[in-house]
Amino acid sequence: MLVQNNQYNIGHICTKQQCDNGLGQKIAFRWLPAKGEPSSISFAELDVQSNKFANILCSLGFTTGDILFTFLPKCPEQFFSFLGTLKNQTICGTLFSNFGDEALLDRLGDSRAKGLVTKKSSLKKIGRIREQLPHLKYILVTDIDAHQSADILSYSALMAEASAEFTTAVTAPETPSVLHYTSGSTGKPKGVLHKHGSVLMQSATAREVLQLGLDDIYWCTADQGWVTGTSYGIIGPWSLGVTQVHYGGIYDASRWFELLEKEKVTIWYSAPTALRMLMREANALFANYDLSALKHIFSVGEPLNPEVIQWSRAVLNREIYDTWFQTETGAIMITNRPDLEVRTGSMGQPVAMIEPAILSDDGIPVADGEQGNLCLKSNWSSMFVSYLNNDTVYQQKFIKGYYFTGDTAVKDRDGYYWFKGRNDDVINTGGHLVSPIEIESALLELEQVAESGVIGAPDALLFEKVVVFVHLHSGHEPSKELEIKLRLHISNKVSSIATPREVFFVEKVPKNKSGKIMRRVLKARYLGHDEGDTSTLED
Amino acid sequence: MNIIEPLTHIFRAVFDDEDITLTREMNADDIDGWDSFAHLNLLMSIEEFFEITISDEEAPGLRNVGDLMDIIKLKT
Repeated sequence: MLVQNNQYNIGHICTKQQCDNGLGQKIAFRWLPAKGEPSSISFAELDVQSNKFANILCSLGFTTGDILFTFLPKCPEQFFSFLGTLKNQTICGTLFSNFGDEALLDRLGDSRAKGLVTKKSSLKKIGRIREQLPHLKYILVTDIDAHQSADILSYSALMAEASAEFTTAVTAPETPSVLHYTSGSTGKPKGVLHKHGSVLMQSATAREVLQLGLDDIYWCTADQGWVTGTSYGIIGPWSLGVTQVHYGGIYDASRWFELLEKEKVTIWYSAPTALRMLMREANALFANYDLSALKHIFSVGEPLNPEVIQWSRAVLNREIYDTWFQTETGAIMITNRPDLEVRTGSMGQPVAMIEPAILSDDGIPVADGEQGNLCLKSNWSSMFVSYLNNDTVYQQKFIKGYYFTGDTAVKDRDGYYWFKGRNDDVINTGGHLVSPIEIESALLELEQVAESGVIGAPDALLFEKVVVFVHLHSGHEPSKELEIKLRLHISNKVSSIATPREVFFVEKVPKNKSGKIMRRVLKARYLGHDEGDTSTLED
Repeated sequence: MNIIEPLTHIFRAVFDDEDITLTREMNADDIDGWDSFAHLNLLMSIEEFFEITISDEEAPGLRNVGDLMDIIKLKT
């Protein structure tokens, strides 16, 4: 039984409860660093390490409702600190390790985070924004041996002294748990707050959709900075006592397949961009590996194009099952799965207890086969509980008891859903949502840039690529050097994933009479489509 | 031609880290943030500074600093 004695605490369920269930000596995860020797961490060790971290937070005065972020690449400390934070009933946010200064400032500032766990190499980045973060009291650094100051502390020194015993308080399902920031097309990124009760849905979908069982070896390639990395790279599998593989390197086809073979991975959860990159490799490469242990491949992050599914059938002799969810939904909502006929290109069908609907803008159901807003009947167990400090926008997401996802879709007569696009300007590149506003704001920091407009354009590899249109101040001329400067500025201020693939220098950025950038017009121009109604464009 | 000095400058700009000191063996495992997006920035910066062109076919084979140094030497 997942919830025992009314204990909904995710940290407890993923560690202590597994030990209580007799799995203490079972491997919780195989850690495969980019360089160095692999190691194995048991559930008993995961419990001890997360207990220690919970004790550290306790001793530093973190309590229920306080917020701590991890800002780490994939590493064991990520998992220990995440679970330890949740055990202490402190909210744990995770940050993609390639976020730049502005992205960090937005997220740490808005959340008023009290603590941060990071690496030494990120301290300079943090140092540049630290003065603007008055609520940030402690920075725990995983790779320094001694405390640097009263507030920049050595993770290992603290862990060495922390007690291995921690009793997790009985945690109600409504207690806030995990925080992820998601990009919108207007305003700053929004803090999507989840609750400990989300574990019900995350665990159920890990079992029913990903088909995870006690004998499986599971590899989720997602970074813990994103919702897939926490919901299915930590919570779902460990709530079921499943052994995971965590790999610290970046994409490399040979190393990935070596890992699948050597670790005898049975269930693999990855992203369409990675799968499309694999598709570009020579087919002969895959013949070198024994994938007999691999039962199923799942995908998430952006629509999975039929060519990838067909490639996998032909080359890997495996089906790929596309899954759909969002940061806000916390868990898989609509999915393909092994017990359901795959209709290539479709999102699949809803999971148990989830009631999607295709609705008009005012909440009226549209007929099967017609495109509309993809909505979900509210109050599923992993539904986000708020946008932090932004209740107005949160409430706007719900109409007549349905959550409006921002995606548009079609439902066919057989109950399959088909993704059609976003109904806003958010860019989905490589499975990650990027806000045009964040990029436009970063560009304005450069003295050469007068204004800019940013769009997402179709891309064969990334699903969408970032395309930037820049109008320069007089006295500045377009050049390759300036283009590189813009690219690096975006990469370092926002995130590497926000780096534009194309930069256009333009005489003017189209705006309406209120001064709003008309990204719709930019996109139409880029694609060579009709610009539509331009009556509101400024002269 | 001195390659390591300007290449170090490029790496520091791309990865926003003034402490980077290059060795031939360094690769994406050694530098935080060296992902596929950063790799593209790196190649564009190298092309611009050294006035060379790196083809799409050549790019995937450039896996460490030594590979980059070699292709720069070959093309300049």
